[in-house]
Amino acid sequence: MRRLTRRRLLQWIAVSAATGLLAACGGEETTPTQPSGAGAQATPTTAPSTPTTQASPAAAASPTVIASPTPSGPKELRILQWSHFVPDSDKWFDEFAQRWGQENNVTVVSDHINYADIPARAAAEVSAQSGHDLFAFGFPPAQYEPEVVPLNDLIEEFKREYGDPYPILERSCYNPKTDTWFAFMDFWAADPVNYRIDLFQQVGGNPDTWQGILEAGRQLKQMGNPIGIGFSPEIDTGMAMRAIMWGFGTSIQDENGEIVINKPETIEALNYARQLFQEAETEEVLAWDASSNNRFLASGRGALILNAISALRTIEGTYPDLAPNIGLAKAAAGPADRRGCAHWYNCFVIWKFSPNVDLAKQFLKDLVANYRDKFLASKFYDIPSFPKAVPDWQDLVQNDPNAKPTDKYAVLATAPEWTVNVGWPGYMNAAEAEIFDLWIINDMFTKVATGQAEPQAALDEAEQKINDVFKKWRDRGLI
Amino acid sequence: MVSTALQREAAARRPRRLITWELWLLLPAVTYIFLLIGFPLLLSIYYSFSHISVGRRDFSFAGLANFRALFSDQVFLQALRNTILITVVVLVVVLVLATILATALAERFRGRAVIRYLLLLPWAAPVVMSTIAWKWVFDSQYSVVNWVLRRLHIIGPFEFPQWLGVPSLAIISIIVVQVWRILPFATVITLAGMTAVPRELIEAALVDGAGFFTRLFRITLPIIRPIIGVAVLFTALFTFTDMAVVWILTRGGPYNTSHVLASWAFQVGILAGDLARGAAIALFMLPALAVIAVWVLHLVSRETAQ
Repeated sequence: MRRLTRRRLLQWIAVSAATGLLAACGGEETTPTQPSGAGAQATPTTAPSTPTTQASPAAAASPTVIASPTPSGPKELRILQWSHFVPDSDKWFDEFAQRWGQENNVTVVSDHINYADIPARAAAEVSAQSGHDLFAFGFPPAQYEPEVVPLNDLIEEFKREYGDPYPILERSCYNPKTDTWFAFMDFWAADPVNYRIDLFQQVGGNPDTWQGILEAGRQLKQMGNPIGIGFSPEIDTGMAMRAIMWGFGTSIQDENGEIVINKPETIEALNYARQLFQEAETEEVLAWDASSNNRFLASGRGALILNAISALRTIEGTYPDLAPNIGLAKAAAGPADRRGCAHWYNCFVIWKFSPNVDLAKQFLKDLVANYRDKFLASKFYDIPSFPKAVPDWQDLVQNDPNAKPTDKYAVLATAPEWTVNVGWPGYMNAAEAEIFDLWIINDMFTKVATGQAEPQAALDEAEQKINDVFKKWRDRGLI
Repeated sequence: MVSTALQREAAARRPRRLITWELWLLLPAVTYIFLLIGFPLLLSIYYSFSHISVGRRDFSFAGLANFRALFSDQVFLQALRNTILITVVVLVVVLVLATILATALAERFRGRAVIRYLLLLPWAAPVVMSTIAWKWVFDSQYSVVNWVLRRLHIIGPFEFPQWLGVPSLAIISIIVVQVWRILPFATVITLAGMTAVPRELIEAALVDGAGFFTRLFRITLPIIRPIIGVAVLFTALFTFTDMAVVWILTRGGPYNTSHVLASWAFQVGILAGDLARGAAIALFMLPALAVIAVWVLHLVSRETAQ
């Protein structure tokens, strides 16, 4: 073996550098691998527009594949969204984007990032006035309204094509104060009760109501199978606490956007939550993140969680013996109502700095036109905002050959009746978004549940914060 | 007249402190510092006096409104207390442990190289990656600590001490991780200082019958005080400004009791979208850090001069 000398090392470096330079200058004959430029956090999957360079389905399925856009088309459309909890949905989306790019002679760059990185990424793109043309939030981004292209015309086109959307679309993406559609939510995900059928049968429990969950939970906790509803600074807790509030007939704001949280029904909801935590749960829910409840159910110890169907889908794949014991139920009913948040609000915006506004709108139109395939690829996760985009979706969920029993997901067909927007019964707005992101409701419930504050004191403190946030956004003209 | 002439002569003889090419050599570093530290700092000062939010580039002047609002924000006050508490505790623990470790590693013994290598691993590992590992150590359901305690029959089969779910335990967990990640750096610095202590002094002390603690506290530590000053400075800066550990472990929970200034600034400024108030929160770190830095550098320069 030849000894490596300093001269030889320098020669190798020079040759490598020269090769790299040649490759970079070589145009389409070479196949350089380069990131999309979307940043370090993004894991792009690029849909090249050259028909002969189709990515394999396996490549498209993996969000970590980095392919180089082939700049043969005159335009480029850049899309950023989350890494879907049901990976097959991303696979379908990236393949669709690739086909769409070929048909429209457009290079489509489809980036996926962790859902938790979306807010920071959006802030960075707006600050830099550069980034993606289409940007998907998991939550209606009302606070970004001044920075996005109004989509009123697009929504009107959709309405003409597909009829009325579910009310959750308008309540999530429309600002009545400015008469602006600031986002388009192509789908939302239901947030049903996921519960252990066998355990609930053992104690004769019924997860249909909040009272039923508490009563069964008391016995289940004694058996070592507590309820798993979070009391933590994370999104699932924020959604669960709102569902409890709505069930007891209270909310942050009313339908006119006036703050109405300080009322006896909220105290009832807080007292209920305290009972639920102390009598049917363990302290572990205080330290949960968004995936903890999924793990809790999958561990076989948890008796009930609130989550999208992705939790059950994962268990079907990973713990096939456990899956038949898990059932889905409607959002629990309280003494006043039965309401639940969507688990995901997939809201696309088009930044004002985008040079491809019309192209982005066209992509969204064609995406909705193909929504039945996306709904199936997502394994019923992506419920379309325009029901006529997938006219038979409520029939499809009645029969899933992979589920045991096959009608396990049938309850999703009722989701439009009980799934509402954050901010319900009013519209989603910038104040509601900030209140959610500051975990004000989570903290109020957690303080009461852990005995750190009495219900009225916690409520007064939360109301003060809510007033401040609403005032700020009213002063800025968005509410 | 004579004295003026002498002064001129002395000035001419005095070497010039910087010549042009040295300035040119400094230029890249100064440019780098200005672009990546100075400019964002100026920008954040500007933001803190404005109404800017993530979705609205409104640079209109807000006066001191953002700062005034902070003093009625209980979470901010808690974050400020936590930041100071965590920094002080980490500083003390790190200094004590680093001194012990450095003293041990300064001696010759079998396997010293391996232990030195292992000691540096926490410092070499990316903080995000190592903190995620710690998150699993403290996990609510799968905590390794709880598993060990259960195996040792110290806790029952259904007992789950919530390392990240109880305010006091969450703060302790954060301190443990901060100590773990900073200790190697402080130890290496202290060790470097110890190896520079003249052998003759130690040997003379030995001849005079000085014991281990006398040698440590009367000779070694006083001599390496400037080096320890550097360790203090960096430990304080790293702990005071870090948000990754808090964010990954607790995200400020439970009920916002474990936030530090950096994590609360991120929550308010980026996640909740109020860039102006987030900048105001972050700026509260500036005077404290400036005081720490000036104090320690002054200490170091005084010691060096002596």
